[in-house]
Amino acid sequence: MIEHIFAFNPDSPLLFTQFYFWAFFALVFALFALIMEVGAKDDASRRSRSRLHSRNIFLLVVSCFFYYKTSGVFLTILIFLTIANWLIAERIKANSQKLTAKVYLILSVIIDLGILAYFKYAYFFTNMFNDLTGSHVTIVDQIILPVGISFYTFQVISYTSDVYHGRIQPVKNILDFGFYVSFFPQLVAGPIVRAEEFVPQLYKPYRLSRRMFGIAIFWILNGLAKKIILSDYLAVNFIDRVFDNPLLFSGFENLFALFSYSLQVYADFSGYTDIAIGIALLMGFYLPMNFNSPYKSQNPQEFWRRWHMSLGRWLKTYLYIPLGGNRRIGKGTYIWWLVIAVVSSALTGWWIWIMVPFVAFMVGVFIWDRHADSTASSSKLLYSNLNSFITQVLGGLWHGASWNFIIWGGINGIGMIVNKIWREMNWHIRFGLMTLLTMGLGYADYSTNQPAWRLFAIWAAIVWIGTAIRYIYFLCKGKDSKWTKGLGVSWAIAQTFAFITFTRLFFRSSSNLDPATANEVAWSTAKNMVNQIGGAWNSAMIPDFLWEYRWVVAMFVVGMIIHWLPTNWKRRYRLWFTAMPLWLMTIVVCVALVIIYQFVSAEMQPFIYFQF
Amino acid sequence: MRPYKVLLFIAGLLVSLAALCVVLPGRVSIAGTEVRWPTLSEVMGKPSEVSIQDSDSMEYRNTVIPEYRDTVVIPDTAIQETPKPVLPPKIEVDSTTDSRIFLSRFYASLSEAGTRVVRVLHYGDSQIEEDRITQQIREGLQARFGGRGVGLMPLAQTIPTNTVRQEIRMNGKVITPQQGPKRYLVYGPKKTQRKDHLYGVMGQVAVMADSLVSGSEDVIAMCKPQVPSAHYDRWRVFADSTIEWTTNGDTVHLTGRGFVYAISQETDTGVIVDNIPMRGCLGMVFTKMDSALLASFYQQENVQLIIMQFGGNAIPSNEKPETIRGFIKGYREQIRYLRQCAPQADILFIGPSDMMRLKDGVWQSYPMVAYMDKLLRKMCLEENIAYFSLNNWMGGAGSMLRWKENGWAGNDGIHFTRKGAKKAGQAISEWILNGLD
Repeated sequence: MIEHIFAFNPDSPLLFTQFYFWAFFALVFALFALIMEVGAKDDASRRSRSRLHSRNIFLLVVSCFFYYKTSGVFLTILIFLTIANWLIAERIKANSQKLTAKVYLILSVIIDLGILAYFKYAYFFTNMFNDLTGSHVTIVDQIILPVGISFYTFQVISYTSDVYHGRIQPVKNILDFGFYVSFFPQLVAGPIVRAEEFVPQLYKPYRLSRRMFGIAIFWILNGLAKKIILSDYLAVNFIDRVFDNPLLFSGFENLFALFSYSLQVYADFSGYTDIAIGIALLMGFYLPMNFNSPYKSQNPQEFWRRWHMSLGRWLKTYLYIPLGGNRRIGKGTYIWWLVIAVVSSALTGWWIWIMVPFVAFMVGVFIWDRHADSTASSSKLLYSNLNSFITQVLGGLWHGASWNFIIWGGINGIGMIVNKIWREMNWHIRFGLMTLLTMGLGYADYSTNQPAWRLFAIWAAIVWIGTAIRYIYFLCKGKDSKWTKGLGVSWAIAQTFAFITFTRLFFRSSSNLDPATANEVAWSTAKNMVNQIGGAWNSAMIPDFLWEYRWVVAMFVVGMIIHWLPTNWKRRYRLWFTAMPLWLMTIVVCVALVIIYQFVSAEMQPFIYFQF
Repeated sequence: MRPYKVLLFIAGLLVSLAALCVVLPGRVSIAGTEVRWPTLSEVMGKPSEVSIQDSDSMEYRNTVIPEYRDTVVIPDTAIQETPKPVLPPKIEVDSTTDSRIFLSRFYASLSEAGTRVVRVLHYGDSQIEEDRITQQIREGLQARFGGRGVGLMPLAQTIPTNTVRQEIRMNGKVITPQQGPKRYLVYGPKKTQRKDHLYGVMGQVAVMADSLVSGSEDVIAMCKPQVPSAHYDRWRVFADSTIEWTTNGDTVHLTGRGFVYAISQETDTGVIVDNIPMRGCLGMVFTKMDSALLASFYQQENVQLIIMQFGGNAIPSNEKPETIRGFIKGYREQIRYLRQCAPQADILFIGPSDMMRLKDGVWQSYPMVAYMDKLLRKMCLEENIAYFSLNNWMGGAGSMLRWKENGWAGNDGIHFTRKGAKKAGQAISEWILNGLD
């Protein structure tokens, strides 16, 4: 029993969706309350520094235990990174000379990214070395990725960088720093908390208003419902089986699975961070918002401002802006461009076909940069687009060293650039371009009869219809009204949602580690899904599918409706929940948990073959 | 709020939930709706653990079945020319018999592979789609006895395979299989079935004059080998005499009105193993196929082994032993029917793999898999046909969980991934070949 509680078991990590975690949390909170309350005669006593220090140490120990239960001996990596970065930050602060401080900063980044690279990219580097030299080196046999390593690595990089740039003072006590790095609610899946946001909270007394308490409970419940109903239920009963074997399902089922996957990914990730935010809030810590109804976005840029916001902010602060943002392109831009070219070449084996155009483009950009006015709007457009494209591709590469993630990042980068340029165009050019594109794709579909071209052609035709309507409205000098604005917004949201959904054809892969496997699985999944969606539509089977999978379809529809509810409606029902008396809140939580449990224990949707 | 108040709320909530465990233990019906809630012991207890045997270390053929390899004698050429008995002699067996004893005529026929084609038909459900499993059996046999090419394929392939890239053109344009000649499937929905039962050996038929594209009397099928073992020497077309065909490299050009049962890429000698997947099929369809058509193919094409890999589709929706026993009766009829059509051929039945479902939040094996496996083996021994227990080889009940974790099986707990199918295919291939040694 003791061993079961304290020993690491890779088969039963502490997950927010399991009873064991909540038992663990209840116990932790009981001890937490004990530390905060026992012997406290007044508010001043409760706020005393020594009490806060005890709280921080306690939560550090708890977080280490949590991580040990989740990742076993990988706890040592967390401890090593904590100590190394804390010491380096001390040295950065102690050195008045900018150059020495910079050397320390670079050292910390090398250590942090080196460890991350070993766990995430060792297969890739080994393969690349073997491909280049013709050898058969097997440096790594099987690497298990430590849980949450990306999140805490990014946190420690943000810390040393913020100290270097003087945005924060170094944390004096290494135990406090360790608490910041390892704080258990956000350790496994974020949000990525930047030092300047979290460290000051270490020294603030516990404060939780009645309303914030209600909000915390609401987030936890909301997260559990998202994770279990919208993510796990949809995944197990439909999405996983389609992605595993798209050829077993018709085009409509594949398309439905792809859109459902968009909802699933969102519900899974945001559900987990909602729970993390709620738990942290109960302990008096504020974690940043990580998702802001991303499928309400009207364009890809907005989507990336609403999706995994903490990562987006991190990439903007520590990658996009250092690259030059929209002000310049520096050495970093060239280096990363080259890295992307080399990685893409190594993954595909097409060295000449990729390196030559990449390098030629870079030379062109270099020449432009030398002669153009850097403050001109055209230069700013180039700088901004190039740096944001690199940021997107590196963001993709962060998910894993395989071409599908590069393609995914690349498509998102291109989508952002195209959308930016599109919005700058006048209606005549938009309509003309869209007409040409639709005709071109239509001809490609007609002449090849390939499902991929058909998909593009249909998509282009749909966008063309929208563009044509707006163009006619523009020519007729139609005035904006509430309705036309609403229609325009809905149209933009639908297009963005569809675009983001289709990029995910390349996102889902069974392996983050072995590029060969990831490539094979991702490629065959994407290819088969496109073939089915563009070819084997089987519309006659749609009513049967909708009926047989009615619960899956209903959950998807309900999930999307809730997602698209106006923000003030959501705020209203959140406030209604927080204002409940505690006894009623307890009843509502119990009822909600019983409903959620129905989905945990639901019988699996049986296999139904609609396509023969 | 002070921490102790939050703690009181958490405690109150836990007590309320625990009370629900007492009030709503397991499953209760509220207003006609079944509501599930765990009991206290379920909440406190460890998740049920399944016993998983390590299939790598589990030498199924050595532990479950006694070695019989010493008893197999491959006859010499003179014996081969002796006419074969119409039905295999009844052999008294017990539960420990190595069922490969019933492959002896197939093993014997392999010695003819140097001078003619020895054909193996692999029928199965979705587990063998994309030429999964069959590919490994084919490659194992061909490596030893010669032969190349994937064998039979439908005119228009709706499910791309790993081994051949297939494309169909009409009026000079590439079309989807759905746009091509209308297909009839013995294992499909009612509207795709034929009243005359003329399906051909693959359980399907394409009707050249009946398609969405005008000029459907002119079809070009391209089948490009994707793996070394798929390279072939010659094309074959199994169709009505009204269909004319010519070939040019990897394409075959068919003209005319009539039925096309299959096209094939193969060699003149060696072993040809045909992959015949029947999605969603229970394996009860053979008796719906015209026996004369089947028999003529089986005999003319020297079919020496018929592999049936079914049972999986019967598992998820049937939880009663009597239903499973009904299926076994059905399989017995199918086997007898096939034996009548192909008296010269041996039959190998491959039972269902372990299959799992998520029940009450825990992945559990379908209990009927083991039951069906046991009954199938018994029935096969009674019918004097070979049986390979995929379930046993995987490691028995619960093994699918490990297969999922290792990336050998999909998240549905039912289908193998390509990696898993390769592993299973290699094991079956080895098992068949080991019977020769």
